Amino acid sequence: MSVLTGKELRIVGFLCNWCSYGGADTAGVARATQPTDLRIIRVPCSGRVNPLFPLKALLSGADGVLVSGCHPRDCHYSAGNFYARRRLELLKEFLPIIGINPDRFEYTWVSASEGQRWQQVVTAFTDRIHKLGPAPRFKDAEPIYDLPGALTSLVRPLDCGGNPALDELKQQIRDALADGHLHCVVGWQQGYDPIHATPLHMRKPEDVDRLIWGPFNIHSTANMITQLIKEAQDAAMVGVKRGDPIPPAKKVGVVVKGCDSKGLVELLQEKLIDRNAVEIFAMGCNGTVSTDRILAKIGNTAARVSAVSGKGDTLTVTADGTEYTMSMNDIAQDKCRACKMPSAKVYDHFAGEPVTVAEDAVPEPAAIMAYLDSLTLDQRMGFWKGQMERCIRCHACRNACPMCVCREVCVADSREPHWVTQDDTVTNKFFFQLIHALHLAGRCTGCGECNRACPVGIPVGALKMQTGRIVQRLFDGYQPGTDADAIPPFLGYEVEEKNIPEHHIERA
Amino acid sequence: MTICFLATEGLVPWLAKLAQNYRVFAPRREGKAIIFRPWKEGDKAPVPLKATVAPKGVMFPACETLVSYKTTKDPQQLDKVSLTLKAPVKAEPTVLFGCRSCDARGFVALDKAYLGGKFKDPYYEARRNATLIITHTCDNPTPTCFCTWVNGGPASPEGSDVLMTAVQGGYVLEGISQKGNDLLAGSGLPDGSDKLNEARALRTEAAKRVTPRKDLSKAAERLKARFTDMDFWIAQTAKCLSCGACTFMCPTCQCFNITDEGDPASEQGGQRLRSWDYCMSPMFTREASGHNPRMVKAARMRNRVSHKYWYSTEYSPDGRFSCTGCGRCIAQCPVSLDIREIVVKAIEE
Amino acid sequence: MNELNPLLPEVATVVEIVQETHNIKTFRVKLDDEERMKAFHFEPGQVGQLSLFGVGESTFVINSPPTRMDYLQFSVMKAGEVTSALHKLNVGDKIGVRAPLGNFFPYAKWKGKDIFFIGGGIGMAPIRTIMLYLLDNKKDYGTISLLYGAKTPEDLSYKDDIKEWLADPNLNAVLTIDNPAEGWTVDDTHKVGLIPNVLKELAPRPDNCIAVLCGPPIMIKFTLMALKDMNFPDEQIFTTLEKRMKCGVGLCGRCNIGGKLVCVDGPVFSYDQLRELPPEL
Repeated sequence: MSVLTGKELRIVGFLCNWCSYGGADTAGVARATQPTDLRIIRVPCSGRVNPLFPLKALLSGADGVLVSGCHPRDCHYSAGNFYARRRLELLKEFLPIIGINPDRFEYTWVSASEGQRWQQVVTAFTDRIHKLGPAPRFKDAEPIYDLPGALTSLVRPLDCGGNPALDELKQQIRDALADGHLHCVVGWQQGYDPIHATPLHMRKPEDVDRLIWGPFNIHSTANMITQLIKEAQDAAMVGVKRGDPIPPAKKVGVVVKGCDSKGLVELLQEKLIDRNAVEIFAMGCNGTVSTDRILAKIGNTAARVSAVSGKGDTLTVTADGTEYTMSMNDIAQDKCRACKMPSAKVYDHFAGEPVTVAEDAVPEPAAIMAYLDSLTLDQRMGFWKGQMERCIRCHACRNACPMCVCREVCVADSREPHWVTQDDTVTNKFFFQLIHALHLAGRCTGCGECNRACPVGIPVGALKMQTGRIVQRLFDGYQPGTDADAIPPFLGYEVEEKNIPEHHIERA
Repeated sequence: MTICFLATEGLVPWLAKLAQNYRVFAPRREGKAIIFRPWKEGDKAPVPLKATVAPKGVMFPACETLVSYKTTKDPQQLDKVSLTLKAPVKAEPTVLFGCRSCDARGFVALDKAYLGGKFKDPYYEARRNATLIITHTCDNPTPTCFCTWVNGGPASPEGSDVLMTAVQGGYVLEGISQKGNDLLAGSGLPDGSDKLNEARALRTEAAKRVTPRKDLSKAAERLKARFTDMDFWIAQTAKCLSCGACTFMCPTCQCFNITDEGDPASEQGGQRLRSWDYCMSPMFTREASGHNPRMVKAARMRNRVSHKYWYSTEYSPDGRFSCTGCGRCIAQCPVSLDIREIVVKAIEE
Repeated sequence: MNELNPLLPEVATVVEIVQETHNIKTFRVKLDDEERMKAFHFEPGQVGQLSLFGVGESTFVINSPPTRMDYLQFSVMKAGEVTSALHKLNVGDKIGVRAPLGNFFPYAKWKGKDIFFIGGGIGMAPIRTIMLYLLDNKKDYGTISLLYGAKTPEDLSYKDDIKEWLADPNLNAVLTIDNPAEGWTVDDTHKVGLIPNVLKELAPRPDNCIAVLCGPPIMIKFTLMALKDMNFPDEQIFTTLEKRMKCGVGLCGRCNIGGKLVCVDGPVFSYDQLRELPPEL
């Protein structure tokens, strides 16, 4: 018995009231000898176990966390543990990316009558944790401040020459605006210099003149769609008296690249927006750029850019009177390097010909993921420690995320529950990122806006990419935002999960 | 005025010498960002560029304890509880090295807010008094810089104790304040007076590269007239994400939140924390009743812009803007929203 | 107030709690430092920040008058996190107090004038302070009147005080509730109707009269209109403002209306001052 021979470790158990808690009771009544390291928290169902519970425990100093519920097909509430199984498997596979050994977390199933099995489970798990020893702590990790600069290869040739169908697109938008059924149309215009675009809200046909299309259209237009729909609804209610019929709101128009459309599709999948509330203007995308990479090519972050022109793969930038030419291969954003969906599949208007990518093209794994995979667990913890130290908690990552629809009621701003405090310790700041990542599991479309929005360049998107990899593996290549009719994986379950083993603890 | 010359290769040893008596903060590169960090002997020379985040955190940390509290039960009489409060107002001698003139001027704006009113902020005051600011005059204004629009400049001495200008082979150091002159006088560095003209010429060159100045003298008056023009504010802020990037980057944004974290009855007690807050958040002014005087982001942006170019001119005796033109809010904005454009439009149209 | 650190509260003890209405409680507190309590000085209209450590801090007007210094009295309506937690306090519990903060009613300039107080709901709290203070100095003032309204009879706070007020020969007190209620007999001092309507019925004369009104925003809005209809000049109308506050000492920057900070430049404003501010209440 490990605990009798050494120091007790901190193990937290979340046990379902109806099965495992009873099982532990049965073991106790039978006076089965058990290690005493486990601290039990009774929950109404394993489905109540938000993956953030174990995660918070692990980040706050627990050496191990065990979740135990009713056997699958035997849930007191019929399906709670089916949902739990997907979420907890996700969590287990997520842990390594933040430097936590996945063996420190386990979930299993024990019924109320299985006192003996409970004894085996708790003994096996405690033994396992003792073999691992006390968990490494964030505060002790050696911080890594550097970031990999490697570029992955392009899955398809990118082009910065603009799209000849832009005039057609503009006409479509002008016509729609002139018709009067649109609240506004969101697109892009040139910002304070030629390499910075900025979102454009077109309300009148003449606003459309400013619309641009090309490598600088980096912002997601899906990002503010829920707010704009609400704005349109509010506008429709102006002057309406109580008891009057509610007038229909105008639609919100949105110009999309392939990646932006994924955001809209995911919102449709989750029924967070109504298809009739949006009018989608699509055009094929040939890739966008990273302004940081352009400035790095020029070699001066203070460069004054006076003109840009693109032809094929080559972008010519005139800065401080000098012409610089650069290849899309060197300046394209990471997400564009791997993009397999440059054209929207769900739209109301499509200008020009869709851009396609060969069906069998396989994108190279993102450089940041390859880098993280190459690190040891301890190094990964150090990596996040080093990166998160400079986080200023501006929440640009959250507000730029098309999937973060909670906005004014974000759980990170709440004091009840109190997930994150105002303390700016690295673990506290990091926990916010973990909330964001896990809330996006099975939902993140990989638009990369969280990375791009971060003013201090923390690669927070890697956490979401990790959930994306897990989701792809567990759910047969599922990609969020590609099929408006698909049920997001964490909103559903299968009675028999193809890729999730049923009794993890036996592996111990 | 004491003027010294510091050779390029002498920089790191000089910092190491300073680090023996001061906490030294200096900019260093982390990923794409340039961040002020404690500098210690053995570290590389600081990056001679404008930091991504203004160094206001040196005086006004992103989070600090205002009060620690703890209740203790009398073991003889359990219903008798005593409450102990502690306020850790303290500051170590600090050198802020390598900020820009816009950053140093930021502290002058913060001084108005924290030290110029009816009540003084003792936490800020302690750190402010204990800190020496060595400003690296700017030699590469970026396209988003507009210090000259708000009465500053790449080498404005305001707020600095020492001005440092890169010249051929090293730096010219000029004492600005008494503190700065004393530091230089005791530094053992050679006289640099002969290089002062070179430094001045370089600064004049740098000032020419700042985005051509627009006249903002009518800003307060015009913003006042614009206050009720909601269409203007809605159009100007449609793309804003309501995040806090602009605020937290800003050398002059002063707003903070106060929250209690931790149970007073627990063994370690709890802390009343002060942390940066941002007026673009809808939570900022939401009252318990649900009423919110700045419910929509257009109203919040109106407040942010008006605060910087109108309200501040009312409460500062010298009518200064609460903006030093560092341009971080533009350069770092995820949607490249340009505050200059808003102010200029408010004035022009 | 702590002279050196305006953000550091002083420890105080709750000495008495009165349940005023279903959601309003009045707390009487004393600073633990007896010397400080003895030396405590404030002006009517000033506020204090009450701290419940571990929960937070909130602003309340000191509604006992400076002429009655056995304790400091605060009335708290249950609304958010801090007020809900305050409602759970018991006598003997420790809290933190930062007071006095803010400006106060310019009562010295009101000498020789008639004063008409109008309080709605929890807005009676600041009225209580200044009214009791003026009553304690009645010789300096003309006629003092009060119109106090609430939704229902149960929503009227300070029930013990009300009996005294109605009986006080120095005060013309009138109560009103929004709708007729059982046991509420309408007479000269008990009315039914919204405050602005009852106010018009009472018809105070604007010459040589100061109107002081406090209450929820909607009541303020319509009562102001009523006062304007009765030709009250702007500079003779006073009210108090409320904003979400944190520091209470003009540093944290959230309670601004234009360049004014409600915590230090307010909470008391005259209507002519308010009109100078941007319309952002």
